[in-house]
Amino acid sequence: MKFDTVIIGGGLSGMLAGITLQKAGQSTAIVSTGQNALHFFSGCFKSLKEPDQRILELFGEAGVRLHYNPGVWLTPLGNFKEAALALEDIDIFPSPKFARKVLVVNFLGYHDFFSSFLAEGLEKQGMSCRVRFLNLPELEKLAQSPSEMRSVQIARIMDHLWEKVVQEVRVLLKDEDAVVLPQVFGLQDAAVPNRIRQGIPAHVVFAGTMPPSVPGIRTLFLLKQRYQLLGGTYLMGDEVVRAHTHEGVVHSVATRNFDNHYLEADNFILSTGGYFSKGLVSNPFQVVEPVFGLDVDYKEDRNQWYNPSFKEDQPYMHFGVKADEKLRALKDGQPLENLYVTGSVLGDTRPDFGFAAGQAIRTAIFAADQILKKA
Amino acid sequence: MNANEFDVIIIGGGITGAGTQRDCAMRGLRTLLIERSDIATGATGRNHGLLHSGARYAVNDPESAEECIKENMILRRIASHCIDETDGLFITLPEDDLGYQQTFVDACRHAGIGAEIIDPDLARRLEPSVNPELIGAVKVPDGSVDPFRLCAANMLDAKLRGGQVRLQTEVTGFIREGDTIKGVHTHNHQTGEDVDYYAPVTVNACGIWGQHMAELAGVKVGMYPAKGALLIFAHRVNNVVINRCRKPSNADILVPGDTVCVIGTTSTRIPFEECDHVAVTPDEVTLLITEGAKLAPSLSSTRILRAYAGVRPLVSADDDPTGRNISRGIVCLDHETRDGLKGFITITGGKLMTYRLMAEIATDAVCRKLGVDKVCQTAEIPLPGSEEKSYEAVAQKIWENPTTAQKAAAARLGTRASRIRTGNKRDDALICECEEVSVGEINAAIDRLEVSTLTDLRRRTRVGMGTCQGEFCACRAAALLAKAHGCVERERKDLEDFLQERWKGNFPIGWGDTLREAEYTQWVYKQVLGL
Amino acid sequence: MKLQEYTESRHNFEECMKCTVCTAYCPVLQANPLYPGPKQAGPDGERLRLKDPYFFNYALKYCLNCKRCEVACPSGVNVADLIQSARIKYDHTPPKLRDRMLASTDFMGSIARPFAPVVNAVTGLGVTKAVLDWTLAIDHRRTFPKYNIGGFISWLKLRRKEQAAFPEQVAYFHGCYVSYNYPQLGKDLVKVLNALGVGVQLLDKEKCCGIALITNGMSAQARKNAVHNVAQLRKAVLDKGLKVVTTSSTCALTMRDEYPNLLGVDNADVRESILLATRFIYEKLEKGAQLKFKADYHKKIAYHTPCHLEKMGWGIFSEKLLRMIPGVEFILLDSNCCGISGTYGFKKENYEVSQAIGEPLFAQIRSVNPDVVACDCETCKWQIEMSTGYTVMNPISILAEAIE
Repeated sequence: MKFDTVIIGGGLSGMLAGITLQKAGQSTAIVSTGQNALHFFSGCFKSLKEPDQRILELFGEAGVRLHYNPGVWLTPLGNFKEAALALEDIDIFPSPKFARKVLVVNFLGYHDFFSSFLAEGLEKQGMSCRVRFLNLPELEKLAQSPSEMRSVQIARIMDHLWEKVVQEVRVLLKDEDAVVLPQVFGLQDAAVPNRIRQGIPAHVVFAGTMPPSVPGIRTLFLLKQRYQLLGGTYLMGDEVVRAHTHEGVVHSVATRNFDNHYLEADNFILSTGGYFSKGLVSNPFQVVEPVFGLDVDYKEDRNQWYNPSFKEDQPYMHFGVKADEKLRALKDGQPLENLYVTGSVLGDTRPDFGFAAGQAIRTAIFAADQILKKA
Repeated sequence: MNANEFDVIIIGGGITGAGTQRDCAMRGLRTLLIERSDIATGATGRNHGLLHSGARYAVNDPESAEECIKENMILRRIASHCIDETDGLFITLPEDDLGYQQTFVDACRHAGIGAEIIDPDLARRLEPSVNPELIGAVKVPDGSVDPFRLCAANMLDAKLRGGQVRLQTEVTGFIREGDTIKGVHTHNHQTGEDVDYYAPVTVNACGIWGQHMAELAGVKVGMYPAKGALLIFAHRVNNVVINRCRKPSNADILVPGDTVCVIGTTSTRIPFEECDHVAVTPDEVTLLITEGAKLAPSLSSTRILRAYAGVRPLVSADDDPTGRNISRGIVCLDHETRDGLKGFITITGGKLMTYRLMAEIATDAVCRKLGVDKVCQTAEIPLPGSEEKSYEAVAQKIWENPTTAQKAAAARLGTRASRIRTGNKRDDALICECEEVSVGEINAAIDRLEVSTLTDLRRRTRVGMGTCQGEFCACRAAALLAKAHGCVERERKDLEDFLQERWKGNFPIGWGDTLREAEYTQWVYKQVLGL
Repeated sequence: MKLQEYTESRHNFEECMKCTVCTAYCPVLQANPLYPGPKQAGPDGERLRLKDPYFFNYALKYCLNCKRCEVACPSGVNVADLIQSARIKYDHTPPKLRDRMLASTDFMGSIARPFAPVVNAVTGLGVTKAVLDWTLAIDHRRTFPKYNIGGFISWLKLRRKEQAAFPEQVAYFHGCYVSYNYPQLGKDLVKVLNALGVGVQLLDKEKCCGIALITNGMSAQARKNAVHNVAQLRKAVLDKGLKVVTTSSTCALTMRDEYPNLLGVDNADVRESILLATRFIYEKLEKGAQLKFKADYHKKIAYHTPCHLEKMGWGIFSEKLLRMIPGVEFILLDSNCCGISGTYGFKKENYEVSQAIGEPLFAQIRSVNPDVVACDCETCKWQIEMSTGYTVMNPISILAEAIE
């Protein structure tokens, strides 16, 4: 099967590259080994400190509304961290004391929303806090399963039940000027968080839960939908197992599902992520890039991979594939002419693009532009 | 009588201390156990968890071998819920001397250990993971024992018999009147309180740290710290203990324990100052994997969960402070006869296997001092939880149609599982998904088993001992602890300590899936949860 | 020292990072709280089962084997295989008569087919349904697949000479559905392949691929079928050098993946030659072959990717073919399970769950309001037709209808 560009890796970076290329009229395919890191997305793009119109547009066209508002966001454990750009339903406050009195609302039997930590964190900032639990019969069926009272399952129910939550919260609300709710709203319909805000006469803050991240999955769904509406081919659950390269040019890749039916393209993008998604693979001696065998920047002495303190920055998380100034991948020191690298598989080899979600976005746009410039 | 006065104070919450407290309590003494951190934090919780048949010592140390097999049979009776009667194999590989097998079997039989030479084919059928190239095999009554459970059960029994326990409490000095120890000064690390406790007899059961405790009391006990490193694999590769049939050496025992298996160990002399901070080196990891794979080749392709090391509390013989003449046997020192210091006993040496015997010896010494004439019953009366032999039977009896988590609880707690609140949605919700630990089980542990931190909770329930090493359950469990203790702030710190403690065991083997998991944990806690 | 060998786990279940992504995509979890979910039933449960088979949980039977957990897993864990393998290994409950009947698709088919009009009439009767519900726990709300009297096999045999005349040949694994219920699909395939210059022949003797046997706890019988079929496939692939095509995504998945992964039947030498017909046709067209489409063909087609096709990743071939037809308005439905999962939805105890699982798909179909739903799976077809009233056609039948 032949495409203009084949993108290996279907996370945030791969999808944004795909959307950018499809928008410019290319035909592309994304090969994705299962789902991606958007399932563990906090909702904040911490490394995007400056507003970027193009990024806002790219998301906006997919129905993902972002807001730019330098300040702090409330973490699920009740801490405050710096942020500037976030999904619309994730608050960024100018300062941690965002209210006078706060009502934290959790669901009975739900262990993945840390209401007591949140309350303590808010009290530390001088806000008085009350924690209340909603006991909704509609969630009781879910609670019958000892392990499956998870964010996404609750969110599926909340898609039809959010109005009831609004009513219950209104009953609970006394003189609080803010309410903190878990991020389990608007899985299918991005407008729900806003409707909840309109329905409750206090400022409503949606605080994170343990993964899977509901705002993350919603974002993923919208981006994927946008990509497919633009005519992109998303091959979910497949994996590139081999690449065919000749004299510095990648011709095609073989996938597990397509066996001897190769995917051909003029250009390729590698956005396979870090260790978790096997974009980088480590063994006791080395860190390798498994698809193309690209040059990886890492330390040979394994003792230098780790900081024994969990809290500290971990050196292994900086390792990544080497790329030239156009983000073309290096193999044996030479750039592959038509293979571009984006996202966290780069590790920290290109700190100029930021890290985490910010890196994923900026490298994706940059690489797509390089490809389009060529044509 | 003053609330701070006891008949006997036992210092050290390892298995020896807990066992001694139980024995003392069973003989009617008012007991206090003091431990500076948590139970089973020293050598007790840092070994294979092997229920030795004694076969390993049969050739070189027949006395230990006899002790082992006797205690082995006793523990099967009194601690069934801590024990998995797996049996063990001593295998001879092509590079080993098959001639040693007969020497070995003769020595076993002499020590009273049922050792039976079996056909290598039968060995392969008994334990399919065993190195198929084996040329000889001997079956022995080895097994596995969960040291955390065993220690907790001893402590619990002592408590049920009126004993008191102070964990997170360090002995900072002794109350001495002339040539007699009358009690101890303590400092509680959690509350910051300093309290004095009094008793006519104090037992030093601090394992390797016994040397320091003795110094504090003004007497000298020479310990020989020998580090042993071990690796935990992510699932049970073998269901029968596998040993090498040769002179004891490095990494020649593979023990299945609960949902994992453990290979070990190495042996390195370390300076005494390092006892509190032993770390596993890359060389040790390499050695453990390569040697381990000779016992069960599939180990080389099995995910490693963590690396850890313990310090054996070996005692230098009195006349040889250089440490060359080491005893693995039990040492009970009455410092009155040895050093002229009254009211102070040190019990050390020995091993997990012989803890009960050590406790009996120490308790006999305590009773002699107190003039109490009661016989030891610890070999007859089962520990709380061990009144029923199999966890299948326990689970069936309590629940009829047990869920997976209830089955797992029965396997961990034995008959005490009946005390868990269960059978309703709230209590049955899982906190640890890898090991199937429910809210009810965690709350029961918090209520009865002296839990103050997440790490303590892990030792009582296996929370965070599974594949993800606490990634999901640490937070959930922290919220339960915060509720139980009414303090969130402490739990924040506790959560950090717990993750640090997990990482400490992960990074020495930080590659492949372990590194993937580590990266994911970093995301979850730093990026998503913003710890 | 060669620590190189000692790198990472080769035990697939240990690659699970406990990330919980699979739980977000399991259709059963959303409808049935009795099911422990793919993470618990799969990699988590596996560790406990390895400790002691006592920890086997009989609720694993609620798994649909739709394999959506595997498609979603970022770590490449074969979650559904783990669950089904555990059932094969540990669940020795003898299957009920009802399950044996449902599983024996070819046996039931061969008995029912000669009496098709009678059987169809009878199984359509309320009274029969009530009796089946009461005696066998086959849900009375279920519409039964119709048995067909005209056999595909005899039809093709009559045309053997004509087919052999084509320069290129392919072997067709027709499956139970074409032989007992819907011979027209086979005839449609022959029409399309002939139009491409390809003649169709059958395997010497095929047996049911065995998927229903696996899911109903009859793995020994399934293994026999697998051994038989692989031998037949070898004759076609290795001796005659043919590709083997199917029109059922489930038959293809079963023969390619379930044989080695669940039944331990090695098929390495023939696996890559087992193709879904749409992939075979797409590849022909890609190499320059052409189909002549009717000028006046107009249809709004909503395409549903069956779970097993989603797992194989081949929905794209069916999609590309349908999009190729001029006059077709193509809508790709969100990838959701229809809830039937072969025989699962026929069972009384699963009916409600089955329908609840399918509801998001049904709702989307109703809102799209297509002329026809396209889908490569026969059981999805029954489920969607019964639940929505829309006609469901195999993409091959649509192609056959659209070409000159």
